[in-house]
Amino acid sequence: MSYAQGVFPRILMVLPLVAFSLAAQPKSIQILDEELNRNYSALKKADPAPYFLAYQMIEQEASAVTATLGTLQSSTTGKSRSLEVSVRVGEPKLDNYRQIRGDRPQFSAAISMPLEDEPNAIRRRLWLETDRVFRSAAQRLINIKTNQQVKLEGDDKSGDFSSAPPVVKFETVAPLKFDKRIWEERARKWSAYFANKPEVLSSNVIVVGQREVKTLVNTEGTKLHHGRLYARILISARGKAGDGMNLTASETFEAEDMSRLPDEKTVQAAVEKVYQKLAALLKSPLAEPYTGPAILSGKAAGVFFHEIFGHRIEGHRQKDESEGQTFTKMVGQKILPDFLSVKMDPTLHRLANTDLYGWYGFDDEGVEARPVSVVKAGVLENFLLSRSPINGFPVSNGHGRKQAGAEVVARQSNLVVESSKSVTNAELRKALIEEVKKQNKPYGLYFEEVTSGFTITSRRGLQAFSVAPVMVYKVFADGRPDQLVRGSDIVGTPLTSFSKIALTSNETTVFNGYCGAESGQVPVSAASPALLVSEIEISLRERSQERPPYLERPPGPTISAGGLK
Amino acid sequence: MRRRDFAFLIPGAAMAQRSPVAAGQDPILKAMQDEMARAKPLGVVGGQPIYYLECALDDAQSFRATASLGALFSSNTSAFRVPRVGMRIGEKKFDNSNYMFSEVFMGTRFDPDQFPLDNNPTAMRQVYWLAIDRAYKTALEAIGRKRAALRNITQAEELPDFSDAPPVKLIAPVPAWSVDEDAWKSRITRLSKVFAVYPEIYTSSVDFESSRDVYYFANTEGSELRYTELLAFVRVRANGQAPDGMRVRDHAMFFASDVSKLPGEAAMEAEIRKCAETLKALSKAPVGDSYSGPVLFEAEASAQLFSDLIGSQASLFRKPVAEPGRQMNIPTGEFEGRLNSRVLPSGFTVVDDPTQKEYKGRPLMGHYPVDLEGVTPTPVVLVEKGTFKNYLSTRVPTRETKTSNGHARLPGSFGGYVSFSSNLFVKSEESMPAAGMKKKLIEMIQQRNKPYGLLVRKLDFPSTAAFDELRSMMAGLSSRPAPMPLQVYRVYPDGREELVRGLRFRGLNVRALKDILAVGDDEAQFDYMANGAPFSIVGGGNYVFGCTTVAPSILFEDLELERPQMELPKLPVVPPPPMTA
Repeated sequence: MSYAQGVFPRILMVLPLVAFSLAAQPKSIQILDEELNRNYSALKKADPAPYFLAYQMIEQEASAVTATLGTLQSSTTGKSRSLEVSVRVGEPKLDNYRQIRGDRPQFSAAISMPLEDEPNAIRRRLWLETDRVFRSAAQRLINIKTNQQVKLEGDDKSGDFSSAPPVVKFETVAPLKFDKRIWEERARKWSAYFANKPEVLSSNVIVVGQREVKTLVNTEGTKLHHGRLYARILISARGKAGDGMNLTASETFEAEDMSRLPDEKTVQAAVEKVYQKLAALLKSPLAEPYTGPAILSGKAAGVFFHEIFGHRIEGHRQKDESEGQTFTKMVGQKILPDFLSVKMDPTLHRLANTDLYGWYGFDDEGVEARPVSVVKAGVLENFLLSRSPINGFPVSNGHGRKQAGAEVVARQSNLVVESSKSVTNAELRKALIEEVKKQNKPYGLYFEEVTSGFTITSRRGLQAFSVAPVMVYKVFADGRPDQLVRGSDIVGTPLTSFSKIALTSNETTVFNGYCGAESGQVPVSAASPALLVSEIEISLRERSQERPPYLERPPGPTISAGGLK
Repeated sequence: MRRRDFAFLIPGAAMAQRSPVAAGQDPILKAMQDEMARAKPLGVVGGQPIYYLECALDDAQSFRATASLGALFSSNTSAFRVPRVGMRIGEKKFDNSNYMFSEVFMGTRFDPDQFPLDNNPTAMRQVYWLAIDRAYKTALEAIGRKRAALRNITQAEELPDFSDAPPVKLIAPVPAWSVDEDAWKSRITRLSKVFAVYPEIYTSSVDFESSRDVYYFANTEGSELRYTELLAFVRVRANGQAPDGMRVRDHAMFFASDVSKLPGEAAMEAEIRKCAETLKALSKAPVGDSYSGPVLFEAEASAQLFSDLIGSQASLFRKPVAEPGRQMNIPTGEFEGRLNSRVLPSGFTVVDDPTQKEYKGRPLMGHYPVDLEGVTPTPVVLVEKGTFKNYLSTRVPTRETKTSNGHARLPGSFGGYVSFSSNLFVKSEESMPAAGMKKKLIEMIQQRNKPYGLLVRKLDFPSTAAFDELRSMMAGLSSRPAPMPLQVYRVYPDGREELVRGLRFRGLNVRALKDILAVGDDEAQFDYMANGAPFSIVGGGNYVFGCTTVAPSILFEDLELERPQMELPKLPVVPPPPMTA
């Protein structure tokens, strides 16, 4: 059975959500390109000479409002431009970016640029920064060549830089429409809900609107001007259980622009839900270490796949000798149950009625985004690639990403898990209970929500992962109502964990967020149906033992009017 | 329009502007006092009485912008409030402070570092409630660990941890504050264009900032403060590279408390042009040779030197109790052990006086009505007839300062504040006509058969060096160095001056001040912003405050300047891009 919802967004994709239109060459492109060529032709005479030069200017505009207990904590608006210079000396087969035993080079730094396209100011900055980056690139290449003479070669002989067709495209990015007055008022109103909830020690409502425009030129002829908008609402509340454990509950909304954020009522309901989750957690018993069957909700499964699987198929890890390389030599082999497929699709804007956060038109090396089928019917097909090639995968598939100021590595975009062995959520629950009975366990677990996780991919560490669930329920075999428990972590090793996936639901849900790795924070999405796993392990989380506040919370406004001494 | 935006942002502050609130009715002070009153029973729960508690708040609004070569790089308006809580448990003789882990909190922090911008009582009290709770937990742990540590070490001398100070009430009206953002954006953009005709200057920038900081403070001794500090400045920085690769730089700074008091655009432009010309000359100037002999400091450079050698050093820093075997290497101040010792020639008197608002008709940047601890400042005679007489002090006692003289200017570590100078007046009874100082220098070099003497016109203070440069300069030095000179001239017997570059002082510190041979009858008023970092390096600290030093020109009998041995960066491979009109 093919995954019905997966097809639908592809149709949506051709109806762009951000108003793009082809524009004339922006002035910034012209200034950047002229200075690029002036520097390149002069540096060509140097030794070692560069064979590639790129300038990327990132313009960021952001407005953010933070409120707590009905009052504003901050309201900021800012605009900035930064520049990154990339210089490659040597030749594509061996250049200054070659990684040696885990030593990851960092040449670029985000230096500030004028907000206007003023040639004198821009050129000066480009010139000096190019010189700085060129010098450190040349120095590193010389070191690499020395290092090569004394060390054994690694397994990967694929070179350092692959070719990519130049792209010339100038897109218009819609303006950021952030009505400060409205959002301040709403954030105040939403945050006021926590004002008479004494068990909430701290709480926030944050509304962020952001616009990002990237201008890229390189010596291969790429001239690119593109960008996107971001909109986000984050609601969070923190408290402390009687035993000292710190607990957090949150809800977030992500959208392509402010106008697509949910209506006031929906957000208000989410605020109330955050409180209910926290209040329930504060009262809930502690989890116990457990091994047995469990269901991961779609969001939880998305994070699970992102951490355990997604990071391990990032291209650069396959050639780094210090990495665990779990999947490096498993292309063409079965790594997941045959009813599961995984794709990484940065061209998807929407899935399961949710705006995705991990989309882009072009990656940070100017390579056009495209869907990548990573696992098909359980068999590993592909890795995520930047322009750094790996054995058997000579060209980029548009996944070279980074945060401003970092160097590009292969990163995830929109991860989508698809299943051909799916049932309704109710049937999935039934299957869980059957599995619990079969294994003779008192209960199974339902992971409704996870916040984050981490995974160790380095060879030096254990090839393990840990995912931090927030809302975990015991699902009893005897039909008692589900019981919320707190303080557990999902732990495991990737290959074993995948083999335990037994069945999925037929409903996909989306997790949006930021992913942090070597090249900084990038927006990503992970979408998956709920998964039934025959065995999962949870361990107890480290917790604070510090007392809750000694004094009661200060009286609220209605009481204080009564006459505080 | 902009004002309305602000009013919307901070209704509380806007209200305060309209009608000055009477003492005791300020909602922020009330929130502080309500929570301090509620905190009393904490002492019973934890078994250690709170004998002193203070709540403070910096309510800051600012506008800043940066431009370079005729283009605006950034412009930001910000409004934020930073709360602070200080707590002492035990008794004045022995409390939780002055211990290396006095402020270390191991638990989870729930109080936000951003205080509500609206004066909502519930939300404001929530912040102080959680902050006081955290302060109490921190204090309990600290006093216990401090007692334990003292079982194994003996202090050189036992000093009380806190001194008495009379409570002060000062509720000043909050002055209105506004800045014409568009006008300043285009003004600094125009000013930054001055450098566009100097291709030899690699980087340049013009920064503008105007801010209002309303300080709120209340303690359990009954002090209640609300007063405002205004600050505005234009800061110009420029860097270049000499043909041999040596980096050269210069800066120009303009300060005022009120933005309307900054110099006019034409005056600033002339000063910036001078800065650009000097830098251009500097990049072409010969490298100075190591030198030992008489050195003349013009009044401004002299004021810079005194700001650093005396202004930043005239306090005694109380060394905190350390864990056995974990000694902390913290400098206690250059004047430690110099009380009643000769530090300057006998004609010198140095007074630090925060009570003065202006000097000879010009505003002083170091004035304040009450210090950060709520102590009314008094003028302090630091040096009398050349002898060091007093330190600047806070409420943390040191061997030589038992009480505060109202100089707590910077939040500090280990539960206390840091004292710093305010308006520093350096005067000498034995002065000579300033015009004759250069002649005197020439006479001296002729007597000693030297080809030239040195004249220092400007020091790198506050420093605009890159942090790396400063770090490399201070690395390996055993004593605290003086600021680097920015403008040094050779003075030849015929009176000719020649700019040289690349020289550094050797061994110029407090001890060298005794070698001042002559003092001019001139004086320069030097305004600057201090931040507690070495040489008040720009960007070195988040907490900034205004200072002024007034000093005459001085002639040293013997000073050494050296040409440090260091690798120079290469010139850029690609020639600079052409400047277009």
